[in-house]
Amino acid sequence: MAILVLGAAVYFAANAEFRRQRDAGIAGESVELARTFTTEGRTELLEAIATREAGGSAHPYGYALFDARGRRVAGGLDTTRPSAGWSDIVFHDPEEGPDPARATATPLPGGEMLVVAVDSEPLEQIDRTILTLFAAAFAVVLLLGSVGALLLGGYLRRRLARIGDTAQAIVGGDLARRMPIGSRNDEFDALAASLNAMLDRIQQLLDNLRQVSSDVAHDLRTPLARLRGSLEEALAAPADRLPLKQALRQSDELLSLFAAILRISEIEGGALERSFTALDVAELARDIGESYLPAIADGGRTLAIDIAEGAMVRGDRELIAQAIINLLDNAQAHTPAGTAITLAATPDGTDVRLSVADDGHGVPEPDRARIARRFVRLESSRTTPGNGLGLNLAAAIATAHGGTLDFADNAPGLRVTITLPGMPS
Amino acid sequence: MRILIAEDDDGTAGFVEQGLGELGHAASRVADGVDALHAGTTETFDVIILDRMLPGMDGVEVLRRWRAAGIRTPVLLLTALGGIADRVAGLEAGADDYLVKPFAFAELAARIGALHRRPPISEVPTSFEVGDVTLDLLTRHVHRGGREIRLQPREFSILEQLMRNAGRVVTRTMFLESVWGFHFDPQTNIVESHLSRMRTKLNEGFDHDPIETLRGIGYRMRACA
Repeated sequence: MAILVLGAAVYFAANAEFRRQRDAGIAGESVELARTFTTEGRTELLEAIATREAGGSAHPYGYALFDARGRRVAGGLDTTRPSAGWSDIVFHDPEEGPDPARATATPLPGGEMLVVAVDSEPLEQIDRTILTLFAAAFAVVLLLGSVGALLLGGYLRRRLARIGDTAQAIVGGDLARRMPIGSRNDEFDALAASLNAMLDRIQQLLDNLRQVSSDVAHDLRTPLARLRGSLEEALAAPADRLPLKQALRQSDELLSLFAAILRISEIEGGALERSFTALDVAELARDIGESYLPAIADGGRTLAIDIAEGAMVRGDRELIAQAIINLLDNAQAHTPAGTAITLAATPDGTDVRLSVADDGHGVPEPDRARIARRFVRLESSRTTPGNGLGLNLAAAIATAHGGTLDFADNAPGLRVTITLPGMPS
Repeated sequence: MRILIAEDDDGTAGFVEQGLGELGHAASRVADGVDALHAGTTETFDVIILDRMLPGMDGVEVLRRWRAAGIRTPVLLLTALGGIADRVAGLEAGADDYLVKPFAFAELAARIGALHRRPPISEVPTSFEVGDVTLDLLTRHVHRGGREIRLQPREFSILEQLMRNAGRVVTRTMFLESVWGFHFDPQTNIVESHLSRMRTKLNEGFDHDPIETLRGIGYRMRACA
């Protein structure tokens, strides 16, 4: 389309320019001859015409002088008398027969009319040549464009088809499939890479969901069975209110278990990050430590608080509080009376370390990797209250904040450390 | 008091209605969002219990429309288990309190009591007096029978909650929310250990304990008889 417009513009511009030049030539010739007539007389004019016509091809113009009655009295231009001014005439070419020409007729004093004309054919030939050239160029461009578009289209289709086929395979259930990434590192590869990252995230969420479902199925059976037992007992002995109280407590435990599972899923889902704000974890840890002092003392243990000033992180106050509290709850639940517990918050490079350490029995090395998993309860703690989700929740909270949860030997006892990326203050 | 229960689950609504009736309240029930919006707009209630998930119109939307229409009745929003985002949305829409389902009736009753007598913002008191105990929020001083009692900040806040709700029950989770800002229940009973210390300080040298313990429910402060 652009080529067509460009071609047409060039054609018309060139054409107009050629016509202007031709008309200017005719006009110049005509004026000169008319001047010859007025200054030097009719004879000189006839002579000038004859000289010019004898000049052959050097003079492309044709001349004619008509008398007042319309008869040609001089010049070789075989045509009838046109009216004064510009006109397109037809003359009789001795070789080619009738031929169109561009002419100007100048009335001379004395009633005669001087006509100067130029054969239109050369100009039309130029027009035709331009048109032909243009048509050829257009055809070439069209051909090249079509071939190029077909090749590019085929290439794009092939690249897209590979992505589409993979997507179809994934829809079909082959969840492990990933988009092929070429070596060219172009936009398609970038797209494939981001699609793969998305698929990895979905896979992770699916695994998480699957894990939760199987955990729920597996670990809720026991407490539900216990609840059922209590209810049965209550039905059997209507006067005894103890089994009913037990059933109520057991259902509360089940509900808190559900709440913990849902909370972990919500945190692992990663949608909470928008609620994160700048937070002084040192202050939060001190606050929690001080809140725990009396309760830990009541339980026959001691709590030492060792907090460095000002440790800023980006996070959710309540979640980090819950992580610290879970560690403190654990340190009490799994240690004997008389245990010394230490809550510390210290900067470590750009990170912030929150740790809860105790001097209790500790956790054997092989078990340490396991205890943060969902529902994992070591044999030694089967009898203590808890749902096996505390450390898992703390780990999920640490991960959601871009941090980690680690276990170390406190020799004796256990040291649990949450490392969070710090914020420049 | 007159209470509107907007809850689509028949079991929950019936259980709440019966319990409130036993406490001497007049409860009306609606089971969908559009009816709730209508009832809350055309009738006057002292407290509204509004479920987050109602058929017809979402609870949060109902609440937003009430607030837009200038209805300032205290609203307790019932939310589903576990939704942190839900709670934030509810409070932003103008809920005065929220409770996660399923809940113990005692918890609901305590929260309704606290909501009902919550004073408008313009009348926020700066001191409380219950029996022979006075608490000044500005100087943060506590006196009992003319004697000054020195409390830790957390103990002070606990006593403040009890006096603010004098004669009504304050539950453990209500303390955790108002004193610590925690919306979860730690395994360790930090409320009890702080409360017992505060109580010891408050009662030292007196033979009457103004704080009542309601086992499994919470605490209540009464004026000395």
